Amino acid sequence: MIKLSQIEKVYKGKNGNSVHAIKGIDLEVKRGEIFGVIGKSGAGKSTLIRCMNMLERPTGGQVIVDGQDLTAMNDSQLREVRKQIGMIFQHFNLLSSRTVYENIAFPLELVGKSKPEIEQAVLPLLDLVGLTDKRDQYPSQLSGGQKQRVGIARALASNPKVLLCDEATSALDPQTTKSILDLLKDINRKLQLTIVLITHEMQVIKEICDQVAVIENGLIIEQGPVLELFTKPQSNTTREFISAIINHDIPAIFADTEFSAVPLPDSTLVLRISFIGHSAEEPVIAGLIRRFNVDANIIYGNVDHIQNTPYGTLVIEVSGEQQKIQEALEYLQARNLGIEVIGYVARHDSAAH
Amino acid sequence: MSQDMIALLIKSLWETTYMVAVSSLIAALAGIPLGVVLVTTDKGHILENVPLNRILGSIVNAARSTPFIILMVAIIPLTRILVGTSIGTEAAIVPLSIAAIPFVGRLVETSLKEVEYGVIEAAQAMGATPWQIITKVLVPEALSSIILGLTITVISLIGYSAMAGAIGGGGLGDLAIRYGYQRFRADIMLITVVILIAQVQIVQSLGDYASKRLNKK
Repeated sequence: MIKLSQIEKVYKGKNGNSVHAIKGIDLEVKRGEIFGVIGKSGAGKSTLIRCMNMLERPTGGQVIVDGQDLTAMNDSQLREVRKQIGMIFQHFNLLSSRTVYENIAFPLELVGKSKPEIEQAVLPLLDLVGLTDKRDQYPSQLSGGQKQRVGIARALASNPKVLLCDEATSALDPQTTKSILDLLKDINRKLQLTIVLITHEMQVIKEICDQVAVIENGLIIEQGPVLELFTKPQSNTTREFISAIINHDIPAIFADTEFSAVPLPDSTLVLRISFIGHSAEEPVIAGLIRRFNVDANIIYGNVDHIQNTPYGTLVIEVSGEQQKIQEALEYLQARNLGIEVIGYVARHDSAAH
Repeated sequence: MSQDMIALLIKSLWETTYMVAVSSLIAALAGIPLGVVLVTTDKGHILENVPLNRILGSIVNAARSTPFIILMVAIIPLTRILVGTSIGTEAAIVPLSIAAIPFVGRLVETSLKEVEYGVIEAAQAMGATPWQIITKVLVPEALSSIILGLTITVISLIGYSAMAGAIGGGGLGDLAIRYGYQRFRADIMLITVVILIAQVQIVQSLGDYASKRLNKK
């Protein structure tokens, strides 16, 4: 649906200083999916999404939306194609002099639709975003969440194929964010609408995205299905984002402990187990204790869902005979689990004592 | 006060109202588009044209820095071309309008700059043409503030119109100078001042009311 190839954006500043905001990005968004781009501020994510409807003209590369090459278009062709690309914004950008109804009607007015046609289109949209009773209020009378709902309805009025969300929930509190994300997901399913969103909150990605790309310094450093990125992050930046919602740190009680990479005499093993999907339901810990006659002390545990798939992390400390601990580790590594050895701790240091 | 004096006051009131109303109208009709051009041709805006912007900006600055009484005399040849005479109420309208156009232009420019660029961008993202952005976004969003700017203009013009006496334009200010000051008629001076104050109050109140009605922020 959207294909970016080798997108570059250079901002020319005064006295020859130039900022290379995007340094060659390739990206493909498939029809009907929710694609998230996550990055810190200044990473280039806002520039990237604005290249998708050419609010920002890339200095190099190609933007193809629904088979049309936007980079080759002149201004009037662009205006036409933009009507198929809805966009919502962090600060909503509603017209303060127009009511909710008139704001949603705005894109239809632009294309010269008649009053009855406009009414026919706007009323179901008001209903879709749950603002039927607010139709004659002005934006200043609405809450942030309601304003974003107006923004969404306005973006949908021209029946777009793609919806671009530029930090759409960043100005909202967590509960409102949740309700807006639910609405977006709902729209995605009902209208088979392709959604691209950029954010700095991993929560948003986790909540609704199918695919995610991590952007840093104008480059995509990692991308893939959300579950995969969450469970097997490759880069430090990705790990940092994930740690905001899933604790990947070593539990605090080990803060002063020295870990050894190799077994020490009379030591315990601390390891992190990640469960994905059905393996989360397998009683591995019980199996471990029964088979190898070792003790397993759970130090930290977390079970969550990403897109209806259970996902969990456990940090456990295994103690027992050295030989048995090694066998237990091999047993765990043979299963379909993510196993990360944090290290060996001399027994007198261990958390169990 | 004699019948003659009352007739003179009424005539002067009419002259002031007429001069100010016509020149305000002309100033608004020319000044609003001027303000729009000043904003939209600025760097990074929807109709970016930096050379045009600079040239217009310089002309506006030049016109605004010329004292009104000098402007009035300096453009007498132009006045003669436009209204056929350089003396009288009609003749005063020309310099009043010309002084007010750049004034309105700058005020409208300031009002339009208050419109958040994000709103313009949203319209662009919906495929709006520059003309649609001006007429459906910029001007309506800034209208309440533009009205306040026009109110200030009308009040300034009431003040400037007092100088129109210099080219025989008449009006209350002229009356106050000729009778109140030069003939030591304190009563005439007082009455004209009171009328001028009332005029300004009425204009300001109307402007505030209209602006408030239009402001939905």
